Amino acid sequence: MISNNAKKQIDSWITKYPQGKQSSAVMEALKAVQAENNNQLSHDLIQAVADYLDMPGIAAAEVATFYENYNHQPVGKHIIRFCHNISCMLNGADDLILHLEAKLGVKTGQITKDGLISVKKVECLGACVGAPMFQIGDQYYENLTTDKIDEIVDGLK
Amino acid sequence: MVEIEIDGQLVNAEPGEMVIAVTDRESISVPRFCYHKKLSISASCRMCLVDVEGAPKPQPACSTPIAEGMKIHTQNEKAVASQKAVMEFLLINHPLDCPICDQGGECELQDVAVEYGSDVSRFSEGKRIVAPSDIGPLIQTDMTRCIHCTRCVRFGNEIAGIMEMGATGRGEELKIEPFLAEGITSELSGNMIDVCPVGALTSKPFRYELRSWQMSSIESIARHDLVGSNLYAQTYKGNVKRVVSGDNDAVNETWISDRDRFSYEGLSHENRLLSPQIKVEGQWKEVEWDVALDFAVKGLNRNILNSRNMAKLGGLASNTATLEELYLMQKLLREMGCENIDHRLNVKNLNNTIHLKSTMALADLEAVDYGLIIGANLRLEQPMINHRLRKAQLSGANITALNVKDFDYNYKVKSNAIAPSEIANTLAGVLKILLDKAQQELPEYLLAVSPNKQTVELANELLEADNSVLILGEHLINNAQASSISNLTAEIAKLTNSTTLNLTATANSIGAQQMGFVPNSTGMNTNEMFEADMCAFLLLDIYPEYDFHHSATALSALSKNDVFVISLNSFSNELVSQYSDVMLPMAAMFETSGTHMNIDGKMQSFSAAVSAPGEAKPVWKILKVLADLLELPGFHYENSAKVMEGISHQSVQSHEHDTSVNLGDRTTLVETIWMHSPYQSDVLLRHADSLSVSKIGQINTASMNASTAKILSLSDKDSYLGVPVEIIETMADQCVFVSSNQATNIGGLK
Ligand code: SF4
Ligand code: FES
Ligand code: FES
Repeated sequence: MISNNAKKQIDSWITKYPQGKQSSAVMEALKAVQAENNNQLSHDLIQAVADYLDMPGIAAAEVATFYENYNHQPVGKHIIRFCHNISCMLNGADDLILHLEAKLGVKTGQITKDGLISVKKVECLGACVGAPMFQIGDQYYENLTTDKIDEIVDGLK
Repeated sequence: MVEIEIDGQLVNAEPGEMVIAVTDRESISVPRFCYHKKLSISASCRMCLVDVEGAPKPQPACSTPIAEGMKIHTQNEKAVASQKAVMEFLLINHPLDCPICDQGGECELQDVAVEYGSDVSRFSEGKRIVAPSDIGPLIQTDMTRCIHCTRCVRFGNEIAGIMEMGATGRGEELKIEPFLAEGITSELSGNMIDVCPVGALTSKPFRYELRSWQMSSIESIARHDLVGSNLYAQTYKGNVKRVVSGDNDAVNETWISDRDRFSYEGLSHENRLLSPQIKVEGQWKEVEWDVALDFAVKGLNRNILNSRNMAKLGGLASNTATLEELYLMQKLLREMGCENIDHRLNVKNLNNTIHLKSTMALADLEAVDYGLIIGANLRLEQPMINHRLRKAQLSGANITALNVKDFDYNYKVKSNAIAPSEIANTLAGVLKILLDKAQQELPEYLLAVSPNKQTVELANELLEADNSVLILGEHLINNAQASSISNLTAEIAKLTNSTTLNLTATANSIGAQQMGFVPNSTGMNTNEMFEADMCAFLLLDIYPEYDFHHSATALSALSKNDVFVISLNSFSNELVSQYSDVMLPMAAMFETSGTHMNIDGKMQSFSAAVSAPGEAKPVWKILKVLADLLELPGFHYENSAKVMEGISHQSVQSHEHDTSVNLGDRTTLVETIWMHSPYQSDVLLRHADSLSVSKIGQINTASMNASTAKILSLSDKDSYLGVPVEIIETMADQCVFVSSNQATNIGGLK
């Protein structure tokens, strides 16, 4: 289930931890496996990672469902990860999410018809100082307004 | 010891122990949810906040260690305000469904809410709903009620040894659930019901039955294994409705196995034998007790007593009987002059048995630094003994297993799949090395034995250990070299200062042995009785298709026309009614008072939790009346406790055992070990419906590896001795391990 390439990456992470603590590599392992599977983790993939790291499946699932950067449903080429935690919420995140959904014609968790964009609500990304904000790929976009959102989204290819 | 102050009182405590342990000891009440004395500390619920002088914020009592001079307030304004605030948070999402919740009345959240909750909630938003997950036939889940204390998760991880439940999601989405679709499979899973402080995990068979305050709780002792776990039978209107665990650190700590928890369901099974019956001209007739007993006595007179032919009478009992029952029955038989008495029903050759003495106390097992398990799937066969050994392993002990199959251990075990016929040889190899090292003379039988890698390793492991235990298990009971294995183990134990545990016969077998429920030198054992020309039998709770090794021989011996059979049974059974002449309904577990003797030799007495159904009577009473009718002296017992007084005066005969060692070789191409699956080991269990549909209850496999299957020309679509074949590479070569939830394949086993 896990490709040799992913195994190689996981193995190199395992060496960074003390012997017998291979399960510490679970986050990177899940990441490597997700990257090779349409950016998505299935139940079986999580179990495969757990088996590879000799840990209970549920323990890997706890990690995989805690962090927002693991996807459990199909996602678009770009994922807009919209923060809806307290600072962003107080600065109008909820309305902006509605705006974004209307613009894309999809609800949070769905993908646009062309498969280009999906929207995900996430917890605080540590950029409260620029709230409201979202993240696409590795890039943070802060102090969002409806106009700014339109411009960013229109620029996505 | 340091002195601290709690609520103005001076209290002595160990530095480093947690505040909550001290308050508990001093009976100062501190509310809590996530803390459990036998689990690790998670300090996640914050319900136990107390005020510690000098600390800026309230501290959780469960994770604040004691230090010299601490001043703690559990009830001042700051503490109570914090506790109330936490309670308010906890209730935000907790449903208000107490009226339909099975935990109502015994819910820790309900209790604490009465004290710390507010009447009105300031939270007007919707409450969250979490879908229940189906985790099997034993535990009901209502996860909307879960307060995320993670006791169940920690229980799985730390005690059951398999992490089955976990906390997935985050924040508002967090939920406790299993990952695997098969749900919860641990043999100790029911303890999650006990540890869950709310109604999220409750007993499925008990669902919507009753409120806790409607039932009486009666202390009792489980009799399905060699531990005798302490538990409470909760009863209502004469029925056992639920079983919960009891506390006894020397026995079961605070856990019980699922087998002990759910076996009570069998009590109300429709197959219970409810009235005395006699067979007249081949027809069964329900009769009054006096008629049935009179019929029994007349039958004995006709077949045995008038002709003074006591040698043609045999008495057999199940090892689930109580000490009192076993004592009285052998006394009755011996008073009549009969010496054919036995409780060892499933042993192929009774002159070749594991007679090793157990020399270890249960609680000491967790302190060993080395354990050698031979012939046991401890986890399923003796769950609480396994739990102790697991504790030892977790604190550093090395455990090695010599088993026919590499079983699913729940701790680290060095496992060597080994054929039954190789065990004696392996032990002989180990003994030779040990004797050589000790520069002692070698007995004859060891001269030809040559050490190999495995025996050298085993000998070294044993020599390196300071406190080792050798455990012989049930799979050895019919080993061709049983007696030699027993003797070799005893020798090895002597040389290595090891303690020993003999788990080959379970339930109350140790008690049966102590009560003299075995033939003396003039009597016949079970197998001899069936070969001999007998005239009458007295049988105690016997079910031939499950209990006997030689079931076909047993059946034909019992079914002979001129053999008069008196059967005391708790359940009706077709074969029993075929061969019996009188059937007397008897009280089952929880329905009679009595005593169980566990692996430590500890005698634990219990009273009846309910009375037996229908006309069924406690066995001690039946035997007493039967003895009176037979005009035997010395049966003036008013209750079972009086029987017990007689027992303490009983002198136990010790038996001589053959001390020779024969190192036989494999004689058959394929070796078979036949075991009942763990939830089929006695008649009550076989009628406990929820257990039998659980994952473990469904085990019914003849395991073999691919090469063995090839020898036998079988595939995993076939069956072997009537049991579905499982091809698995963790089996020793040319061996089959059958774990069957069906009756013995009569005549199928040689
Ligand atoms: S199910 Fe019960 S024991 Fe498990 S976390 Fe929830 S409340 Fe605690
Ligand atoms: S709350 Fe949105 S970044 Fe912190
Ligand atoms: S009991 Fe102390 S934090 Fe839960």
